[in-house]
This record gives sequence, C-alpha cells and structure tokens, in this order.
Amino acid sequence: MKHSTTRILTTHVGSLIRPQEIKDHLLAKISGDYDKDGHGAALIRTVAGIVAKQSDAGIDVVSDGEFGKGISWSQYMIERLSGFERRELSEGAADPYASGEDRQRFAEFYKEMDEADRRASRSDGGVVKAETVCTGPITYTGQADLQRDIDNMKAAMEAADVAEGFLPVAAPASAIPDRRNEYYSTDEECVFALADAMRTEYKTITDAGLLVQIDDARAAVTYDRMLSRGASKADFLTWLAMHMEALNHAIKGLDETLIRYHVCWGSWPGPHTTDVAFRDIADLVLSINAGAYVIEGANPRHEHEWRVWEDVKLADGKVLIPGVISHATNIVEHPELVAQRICRLAALVGRENVIASTDCGFAQTPFHQRTHETIQWAKLEALAAGAEIASKELWA
Amino acid sequence: MLYSEDRILTTHAGSLPRPDDLRKMVVAKAAGEDYDEAEFQSSLRDAVSGVVKQQADIGIDSVNDGEFSKINFTNYVRERLGGFEKRNAQDVTTYQLDMTSRDRVKFQGYFEAIPPRYTRSNMGVAVCTGPLTYIGEDQLKADLANFKAASEAAGVTEAYLPANTPGTIEHWMPNEHYRSDEEFVFAIADAMRVEYEAIVDAGFLLQIDDPDLPDGWNCLPEMGVKEYQKYAQMRVEALNHGLRNIDPEKVRLHVCWGSFHGPHYDDIALADIIDIIFSVRALSFSIEASNPCHEHEWNVFETAKLPDGATLIPGVIGHCSDFIEHPDLVAERLIRYAELVGKENVLAGTDCGLGNRVGHESICWAKLESMVEGARRASAKLW
Repeated sequence: MKHSTTRILTTHVGSLIRPQEIKDHLLAKISGDYDKDGHGAALIRTVAGIVAKQSDAGIDVVSDGEFGKGISWSQYMIERLSGFERRELSEGAADPYASGEDRQRFAEFYKEMDEADRRASRSDGGVVKAETVCTGPITYTGQADLQRDIDNMKAAMEAADVAEGFLPVAAPASAIPDRRNEYYSTDEECVFALADAMRTEYKTITDAGLLVQIDDARAAVTYDRMLSRGASKADFLTWLAMHMEALNHAIKGLDETLIRYHVCWGSWPGPHTTDVAFRDIADLVLSINAGAYVIEGANPRHEHEWRVWEDVKLADGKVLIPGVISHATNIVEHPELVAQRICRLAALVGRENVIASTDCGFAQTPFHQRTHETIQWAKLEALAAGAEIASKELWA
Repeated sequence: MLYSEDRILTTHAGSLPRPDDLRKMVVAKAAGEDYDEAEFQSSLRDAVSGVVKQQADIGIDSVNDGEFSKINFTNYVRERLGGFEKRNAQDVTTYQLDMTSRDRVKFQGYFEAIPPRYTRSNMGVAVCTGPLTYIGEDQLKADLANFKAASEAAGVTEAYLPANTPGTIEHWMPNEHYRSDEEFVFAIADAMRVEYEAIVDAGFLLQIDDPDLPDGWNCLPEMGVKEYQKYAQMRVEALNHGLRNIDPEKVRLHVCWGSFHGPHYDDIALADIIDIIFSVRALSFSIEASNPCHEHEWNVFETAKLPDGATLIPGVIGHCSDFIEHPDLVAERLIRYAELVGKENVLAGTDCGLGNRVGHESICWAKLESMVEGARRASAKLW
C-alpha cells in the first residue's frame, strides 16, 4: 500500500454511479431476459472506462466502481454465499432496514425521505421489501463473479497505467445486514461462519495483488439501531467487539498492508443525531489488522471528529484515509476547504500517513445514487485539486 | 444591535417553518387566488406569536417573525410594490437573469435531471413598466404590530425584521420603464426605503437580505471579477441610498450566495467582495460560511478587518444538507472566528433562512437547537 511520501495521494470509498448499460443488464437479470455474455463484455468495457476516468480526474488509488455487484454494497453477498434465503415481506410488514433511534426522533422527516427515495429508485425493479434468513451452512460460492471482477480490474489498471487499485467488499458485520439466523445455534456462531466464508473473498483479492477495502458501515450504524431497541452503549460495544473479532478472524494471516478498513455512519441524507461518536469506537476500529482506516469526516455531524486524532494514536506504518468530500450535498467542496481538512490531519498523524478520500460511495446500489454524475466527478476533481494545494503547503 | 459581551449570542438568517394552514393561505394570496383575509390575518397573528416564543424558548437571542406573511424573502415585494405587471415567463422578451447560469456551464446535465426547487412557484415574471411605488403599507403595518406584540410577550433580547434589497429585486424584475440599470435600482431603493424606515421606526433591527451581492456573479457568467465588483458596487450604492436616513447600528446585512441546492462550483470568492460588503451602511454582517464551498473562507478574516464597532454573524449552521450539525462543530467554527475578530464581535447565525430549505420543520428546529448548544460550548471555552 502506498503512503503519501512525496505528496498527498487521493482515493475514494469505491462505489461510483453505474453506466446505464450496466443497470440495463442487471434489470434484465431480474426479469429473466439476461444476456450473460453481453453483461460480461459490458463490464470489461465499463470497468476499463471508469478506471481510466478516475485516473484522469486525479485519483491515485482507484476502484472498479463496484460495477460488478448486484443489489447493493452489502446485499450483493446474497449472490455469493450459500445458506441464505430472501423472503419477501408483505406490504404492511415492518421493514427491517427502516429502524433506528434517529428515525423515531424524526419520524415525519424519514417518512418524506423514504417516499422521495422510492420515487428516485422507481426504475429499480429489484427493490422488494424482504428479509434475509440464514437457513443452512454458509459457504462462499461467488468465485466466478469475484474472479471476473479481479480480472476486469487488473486489465483496466494495466491499460490505464494505474499502479494501485482496490476492490470494496463487505465486512461480516455489514454483509447481508438485518439478517435473521435460523440455522446456527447462536448469532455469534453465524457471524463467525460468515467470516470464514468471506475470508475467501478477502484472500482471493489480496492474493491477486489488489488492495481489499472492507466496508463496515454497520459497525457504526448498529448503535442507532440498538438504541431504538432499548440497548445501552455498553451493549453495543460488546456487540461491536464480537464483530471486530470475527473480522480479524476472517483476515488472519493476510498481508495487512493490502487491507483498508472503511467505517461510516450510513450514507443516508438524514439528521444523524444519534450516531455513535467516533471517539467511542476508535479503539475497536483501530483493533482491526488493516493497513489503512477509511473514516467518514466531511459531513456536519462528524467533521469535528478530526480532533479525536489529538489523543488517539495511529499506529506506526498505518494510513489514515479521511473523508474530506461528502456525498450528502450537491454543493461541490471548495479545494481550499479540502486542503484545510487534509492539513489539520497531516499535522496530527503525519503527512505521509494521510490519503485524501470521500465520506462514502456515490451510489449505494446500482440504482440508487447520492448525487448526479456531473457532481460526482466535480467532487473527485475538487478532491485532487485540494490534495495538490495541501501538498504544496505540507512539502513547502 | 447586540454584542456578545459575556457569551456568544445567537440568531438566524430569516425564514422559519410555518403552520400548514397559514402556508396555504400565503401561497393563494401570492398567486392572486381566493383566500379569506380575516382568517389569514388571524392565523398570521397566532403563528407569529408562536414562532417568536419558540425561538426564545430554545435560546435564540435575536429573533424574527419567521417571515410568516411572505411568500418568500424576495417575491413578497410583488405584493408591496406598484409599477410592474405580471406576465407569463415565455412572453417576457426583456433580459431575464438566472441564478444558475454560471453553474450550468459545467453542470447542464445536473440541472436537466434535477429541476431547481425555486422555479416551482409558477408565479410568472414581474416586469417593471412604470414608476415604482411602495403600496405595501397595510401588510407592513400588520407585520410590525404582530411582531411587536409577540416579541414583547416573549420578552426577547433583540427583535429583527428582514427586508429585500434593490439588487435582489432587480434580479427578478426585468425593467422596461427606467432608462438605465442605475436609474432602476435607485428607484427600487426609493420605494423600499418606506419599508426599511418603518421597520427601524417601530424599534426593530432591520436585516437587509442581500444575496444578490454575491449571486449576481452566478447570474452573469460572462463577467470577470473587476467588472463584477463595479456591478456590485453600484447596487450597494443604491442600497445605501435607501438606507441613508437610518443609523447603521440599526442595520444588519445578510449575504449569501443564493441558497439553491446546486453545485455552487464557481461562486465568487468572499475575498473578492468583502470590501464591498463592508461598504454597506450597516454595522452587523451575517455571512454564509458553513457550506462546503464557503466553509474555508473564515481565513478571509485573517486579513480583512471588520469596520469599527461592527459584529460578524457567520453561518455556522447550513441548509444544504439535512444532517444536523454537531454542536462541537458549531463551537469549533465560532471559536475560529472569535480568535480572528474578537469574541464580543461574533454572533452565531445560519447560512440562509432554513424555513423552506431543509427537509422538514423538525430538521430546522433541531439545527437551531444545535446552534444554541454549540454557542454555549464555544462560550464555555472563550470565557
């Protein structure tokens, strides 16, 4: 994994807005009129395009935009694991996804937000209210799709002459979230079985020489969910510690300099008043045996948390990848602001240990984007321009 | 005007969420549709009383009437000025400005995909076709009386009322009557002077809402900085003409870059217009400062000096997302300004009116509460 040895490098969280042809193939897959070869060819072409475009925009460490994944950043694992069943819920049933303390405090706001979300993803075709239940032994079955994604990414990087790239994957706490376990004797057993299965995905990516980014929004978001069910912060920290242990189990023995660990507080554009403070989970986040930590930090609920690094130490050799660009507003960050955010962290953890990034992905599912595509690119360009200003100051 | 003598005081930029029934009547009234005037005035009185109390209850020091009688901060003047006629947009051949012009150069696709919210009102275009006069005395008097009663009942520290500027009115009113832009904006200033002076005479602080000072730049993409500074300077001279009889201590200027939810990729830099802002006959300056295209501009005050005796009201809460600013972020922002211009000269404010700009009224109030808590935390550190 590269460090910012001569200038501040740039990256982002992974998911980029999908081209229409990729969405069309995924819709065809749902409707049963699927052209597998055509989809495969489109992926080769569009991943090559998106890697080159990131490089052109000034992004140093690029992703495949998560173009190869179906459903969403976390639910895609349903297509790559055995042992799960998706059961459609009736219209009136409680949505397992739509829960949390923030939702209770701002119920009317969330009602309007959900309606707007439904309008925005009406063309989806794949959105059904469903719960996912573990009904058998969990094993990894996604080798073919995974290998396709790895091959596409490596070919794209070679063609665009890009030295470093990553593939985002889900952490055990975040893969198939809100799942229900009917098979294993305890939830903990289920999580560790999931971790064992996911290890195949993590290891295959690092074995191929790519960076793996393990996405774990649920590590933070679960606090808000548990709070609404009457749990305490201590209960949550116990839950989190168990899941951190499961993730470390899943990546045991892998080269940590090829692993990035991403935590955000869920990218939905709500008030986020009941997010757990980063300070409260920093030690557990840093207990993951990764080479880099990718932490949301550019939205107004978490921007002040750069100060946590005044007391919390980033271990030697590790990299901090802070969000300095947000997906939560259409307003494009001014490069001077990006530079200010980078410089204050560089002063705390060392310039060579900071890589500038975004808060979260720009499209949480193939059909649900957080900004318009033109805004996405302007934001990535602002990220690169801001890193350049910061580099001039830091290497003056 | 207030100074933060022993703690950071709080205020906000203008509009607040209003009750549904009142909103419906305000919309009907502005559109020239039927509504019950007696019912409107009675709902308005009750709602103003409620919103003033609500601001005071959550700890806002300088409060307003939420702009409850107005369709919005600018178009309300259509109900208060004579000398224009309303036409359908497609029938207006006179030059019309568009606040998104500069952003459209790079983001045409965005604007096509996401129509800006502010074009929804379908109110037609007001075209100036004769001498402008102020004809809004009745509603103005009602506003002053409602606010006076409400602020006295709530026992507020400071009461302010916003009014629109000549430059902003010019943006939305093509001129077919006056011979030059200058003659036109000075005529607007003369007409609006009635409102400005009435607000101050009633004992309130006058807040001049001046988004046009920065956002004229967005409307005029062909202009360079020097030419734009000249453009803006003339509009400020017209504003000062309208304010000529008022003690600057009674005037707060609010500047923002037009609060539309677009990219704001090429807004004019605060550094390029700060001298023009400070040339307004006001002693209190409320400036958008918390959204990500202007948040970095606190550093302008490393070199720009506030006029003697002036206060700065940076926006420390924004309308561009529904995330509630963390009170520690609010405190950090306030302390940064306090260190540059002196803690007694800083009040906490918002980027723009939050009323219609955030997702739900609960978001607006949660943001204001976060601002009050952030000011408390900043004060604890600064004193």
